[in-house]
Amino acid sequence: MKYLALIVPLLFLALFVYALIKRVKLYDCFTDGIKEAIPLLCSLFPYLAAMLMLSELFEASGLAAKLTSLLAPAFRFLGIPPEIAKLVLLKPFSGSGSTALLSEIFSLYGADSYIARCACVAYGSSETVFYISAVYFAGTKRKNLAKPIVIALFSNFCAVILGCFLCRFI
Amino acid sequence: MLLTAGGGFACPADARCASAGHFWEVFHIQSSVNGIFAIVFLISTAALLFLDPDGFLSALLKGGEKAATLSLSLLAVYCVWLGFFKVMEQSGLSQKLARLLFPAAKKLFRSQNKEAVYYASCNLTANFLGLPGAPTPLGIKAAEKFCAAREHYGADMLFVLNATSLQLLPTTVIALRLAYGSANSVDIFLPTLLATLFSTLLGGILVFLTRKRS
Repeated sequence: MKYLALIVPLLFLALFVYALIKRVKLYDCFTDGIKEAIPLLCSLFPYLAAMLMLSELFEASGLAAKLTSLLAPAFRFLGIPPEIAKLVLLKPFSGSGSTALLSEIFSLYGADSYIARCACVAYGSSETVFYISAVYFAGTKRKNLAKPIVIALFSNFCAVILGCFLCRFI
Repeated sequence: MLLTAGGGFACPADARCASAGHFWEVFHIQSSVNGIFAIVFLISTAALLFLDPDGFLSALLKGGEKAATLSLSLLAVYCVWLGFFKVMEQSGLSQKLARLLFPAAKKLFRSQNKEAVYYASCNLTANFLGLPGAPTPLGIKAAEKFCAAREHYGADMLFVLNATSLQLLPTTVIALRLAYGSANSVDIFLPTLLATLFSTLLGGILVFLTRKRS
């Protein structure tokens, strides 16, 4: 797996060489991009904070443990660690909420644990289905969205099962 | 996608794309987040009243504290990748990739509508690369054009491909793992890629199989 660490540095190297050939002012351009980081974070922060507070509350009330143990048999049957059940359930609704949950799983179980790796795959292989459906079809007259939404949710859930299976070997 | 779906709520730019007449449709779907928030908050608080009333405020504060530390890690991630993507955009590489995709996209969306396919292929490229924030406006444009041309197949395909995630390099996940002390942060690249390829393929095939035959 050593060669995987090369991906990111090679990407940067290739792009920056290409950009120099294209006579892009590298420093100006790079800093221009970074400029957008703070507004981006500001637009996200309220949702992160609210979701993390909710998640803490949910945890402290003991309901999270109840939900996890309730779903555990079904998830375990499918090979998904029950610890990531919350993440799998939240992902279709909220991107920042699931980012918050992902970071929590990292600090709870360690970033290199099997559970954390499954969480990474569950997070990385799907998107916020309901958010995308709301935004993409908002400007159109399309009414019946049930079919595409069900297809997307089903495919994403299958990917989580596959991902957790793969994480045992790769 | 690094961030397109970040907020869980439409950002102001997205809201502008939704004309006033369709306000309720957006509200209807987005209210699901509001509903979940309210229900979970109220039930948890009620449970805490009986179990551990002292834990209420400390749980909220702990959440806020976590949000602050997470924001710092995320800010670091955005600095690196937003810089990277700006260079990519300025050097013309993103546009070049979109042009390469165009012929394949025409077949994929079964559409003759040039504009729609162009926006859709730009959207796909932005997705592949994980350009933060870029896929959403492009996807909205493409979906609008597909629906205006009554090409629901194209619109469904576009939505399902987006919703099953197409990102090749999960930049946020890798960087976040690194921030939490991972020894080998890139090693989830392969399982994630395989899983997301699988979900995207499965979704695409299902859209193809359930299409209305004419």
